[in-house]
Amino acid sequence: MDKEKKKIPIVEGLFTWPSDKPQLIGSRCPLCGSIQFPKSNVCNNPDCDHSKPPEEILLSTKGTLYSYTIHRYDLRDPFPYHKAPYAIGAIEIPEGINVIARLTVTEERKLKIGMPMIFKVDKLYEDEENVYLTYFFQPEGEK
Amino acid sequence: MTESAVVSAAITEWAEAGKSTPPLMDRLAEAAVRALKNAKINPKDLDAIITNTTALPFKEESYITISAQHFAHRLAEKIGTHGTRCMNVCAACASAAISFAVADAMIKAGLIKTALVAGADNSPRGFYFQGPSVLDADLAVSYPHKAVGITNPSYWAMWARRRAYEVGKPVEDIKKLMALVKELQSTYSVHNPYARYKKTFTTKEVLDSPIVCDPLHLYMICAVSSGAGAAIVADMEMAKKITDKPVKIAASTIGSVVYGEPSPRLVYFTTAGGVKAKKPFIEWRRVIEEAYKQAGIRAEDIDILECHDTSCFHTINWIDQVKGWEREETDKLIRNRQIRHDGDFPVNLSGGTSSFGEAVMCQALMMIHELVLQLRGEAGERQAKKKLRTGMCTAYGAYGSYGAIILEKGW
Repeated sequence: MDKEKKKIPIVEGLFTWPSDKPQLIGSRCPLCGSIQFPKSNVCNNPDCDHSKPPEEILLSTKGTLYSYTIHRYDLRDPFPYHKAPYAIGAIEIPEGINVIARLTVTEERKLKIGMPMIFKVDKLYEDEENVYLTYFFQPEGEK
Repeated sequence: MTESAVVSAAITEWAEAGKSTPPLMDRLAEAAVRALKNAKINPKDLDAIITNTTALPFKEESYITISAQHFAHRLAEKIGTHGTRCMNVCAACASAAISFAVADAMIKAGLIKTALVAGADNSPRGFYFQGPSVLDADLAVSYPHKAVGITNPSYWAMWARRRAYEVGKPVEDIKKLMALVKELQSTYSVHNPYARYKKTFTTKEVLDSPIVCDPLHLYMICAVSSGAGAAIVADMEMAKKITDKPVKIAASTIGSVVYGEPSPRLVYFTTAGGVKAKKPFIEWRRVIEEAYKQAGIRAEDIDILECHDTSCFHTINWIDQVKGWEREETDKLIRNRQIRHDGDFPVNLSGGTSSFGEAVMCQALMMIHELVLQLRGEAGERQAKKKLRTGMCTAYGAYGSYGAIILEKGW
């Protein structure tokens, strides 16, 4: 019987994994509250005295679509697994930052600036050994 | 404060990227020597050499690395000096604008009297990627390509779509506007011996070209090229001895990341600041406003613009920011073809980066070169019809790098 492939994040540290309800891993400054993604070891607010390191937080799984594009070209080495067409969006999350993400749908008619989006982790590609995961945002209500 | 001026500028013809001949250093030296010759000075007269550095992870045989980070010193060795100050500056696509501003600041501070600003590049073809480095594995910028598949044009495409949304127009509207920008700018490439693509691209050809990432079509995105450029700047007293047409540097500014900028910035995963989106491109605007302040002028005083257009959206956005207009006015200016040489506000009469392809490290020198020709009335078929006194050059680069330069007739 085929062994089930291992599911691993394409980049470690961007989202919680393994998890039933994965979330983006960010950080929050305990002094000024500035939110960062990915998490950082220092605050990024120029008006903060930076005297305490940011704390790790998990970011909202809901947001709205700030803008998007659908890529029509495959990427070359070293990222040939990004196969066209694929969609990219900037998602405004309640924490107030815009996060760049892959979108689950590639049909333009299904995308609209301002629409609500839901976070999910899903397959980016697989090889003989592993399934590689990345994070996506999906239009709310889309299956 | 001492006044400063450009006394000469020279560029090579931009060419296809990825070719090994002529070697980069030969091209850099060619541009530098032509600039020296135009100024009728010798290397011994240079108080500083400031170049741009590059380190692009391409294929192994064309990996430009350590030695290319020290062009100033190598150029000093190649043309000969008596121990002049050498500096290597890096600020992505805005690099040459920043080295120009550094030279200008040193002259205005009275530290030096002359400087050679030079740059050369031979950029890799296709999309730029962040090189995976075990020593510089920065979560913020090292992985957007790997995890999301985002490329530079994807950011530009998202900006363009967002602008259409904010002005309440369908995305086809900005698509047509970008195609028109390409047509108008490329008209001048035919008259520019230094442009790589000497061809007019009609709006139809642009819209018929393949979509790269909607709304951007292939011909709306600049190619990557190789090239070299140089400019000699001097304090005004010396400049007047060298040339009877010194081009005064009224302002040169260096910009960067603004906390709270709502627009996604190359090449990061997120915006910073926790500020809910308001009018985007604060960073672009800031460097321009500082230039106006330095020069003591207003947007209405700018007669001509050379702006960095790695995509046709950039031209539109630069006009928005330089004019500080509500955006409909920019659209109207372009639709009425008033950015042509015979228009109210000529933009990119060089043909623009879209006609040159981008040689990243010297692209701003191409723009400075054009402004010097235009202000001196030496641009031939491309010469602006209106009377020129003041011109602006703006540069944008990844990571949050910006530069703005205002040049004026100094005679």
